Amino acid sequence: MNGTRRMLLAGLAAMTMATMAVVPLGAAPAPAAALSPPDLTGFWSLDATPHANDPDLIAKLPPNTVVLDDTGVAEFPSGDYGGLKPKPDALAAAQKWKPQDEMTLTRVCAAPSVVYAIQGPFPFEIYQTPTLIVFKYEYFDQVRLIFMDGRGHPPADAPHSKVGHSVGHWEGEELVVDTTHLAPATITNNGLDHSANIHMVERYKLGANGKTLMATQWFEDPEVLDNDGARFIQWSKKANSYVFPYDCDPSFATQYQQIGEPGDAGK
Amino acid sequence: MLGKSLLAASALLLLGQGSAQAHHSFAAFFDASKIIKIHGTVTDFHFTNPHGTIGLDVTDAQGKVQKWRAETNAPVVLMRRGWSRASVKPGDVITIEGWGSRDGKPYLRLRAAFDADGKPIGQPFGQSDG
Repeated sequence: MNGTRRMLLAGLAAMTMATMAVVPLGAAPAPAAALSPPDLTGFWSLDATPHANDPDLIAKLPPNTVVLDDTGVAEFPSGDYGGLKPKPDALAAAQKWKPQDEMTLTRVCAAPSVVYAIQGPFPFEIYQTPTLIVFKYEYFDQVRLIFMDGRGHPPADAPHSKVGHSVGHWEGEELVVDTTHLAPATITNNGLDHSANIHMVERYKLGANGKTLMATQWFEDPEVLDNDGARFIQWSKKANSYVFPYDCDPSFATQYQQIGEPGDAGK
Repeated sequence: MLGKSLLAASALLLLGQGSAQAHHSFAAFFDASKIIKIHGTVTDFHFTNPHGTIGLDVTDAQGKVQKWRAETNAPVVLMRRGWSRASVKPGDVITIEGWGSRDGKPYLRLRAAFDADGKPIGQPFGQSDG
């Protein structure tokens, strides 16, 4: 045992004794989760295999919430919002939307907000510390900082973004993330947009084997919706993987616009 | 935001989990019931997100050349299926199988591609899509 190692062990022993000294006799030991929350660190890839929604997470959703069935590879056709009840103005705007409208240089690389983006078939990485958790998404290179230091959200008129402002806390084994300040963007990728005042709450927990990550994503937006929405999302942990840069290139829209008309053979 | 839409639509179709008609963007651009195959010479290959594209000169039975374009999954997805920006290059003769454009334009969504020897380019669709 070298000198440095002896010093470290001696220091740890002293810290342990000091900790023991301040615990009153007879006090119940703190729950393990309070001392050491689950470690969500890793590379998480959407679980595309059929699976049931976690009943405990679903049970914690507020009343008047519809669980959308468009997580992962599924999407709603035009005019179907999965049970969300858009207010008349929002519905009218959604009904005017056409997919071709997105195929322009200014639109094709417009990132969605995390309201839509987090449930798609692209992976993400989690980096976890006691005071800050980072979600790094592959889709549109989005990065979220989840502040775990007890701070609140900024004033309502603070700048908004597609990733918003997130604060989190642990409830037992579950990470609860509260997000505001989201810039308006799509909810269901078929014309229904949320407002700048949408409020999203996610609840994450690990599966029993630690290789599965489950979450509910709940949101309310009274300016746009008469009810609230939620999704259940599940990912699998993959070793030795990392998210790739997305670096969206809008020239894709130009390539689409240059496609010939039907029957253009020979041109 | 077409990346997820089209990837999702294609993946679901192959997984047999539901109708591709449920995917608005895919359904808007491509006909899930119209599987077509084209064979020609690569003119350009764009390996960029949100979607890659391959330009292909296809000679029809009358000898006329028609310019086609195939849209691929997002390259971040293709890379996990063994593709790279060097997988195809101008001058290569390849075959592309995929879903035809709903509006009849010479445009398709790539499901699989094969080199001049008939070997698959990358892994089959739906594997390692992460």
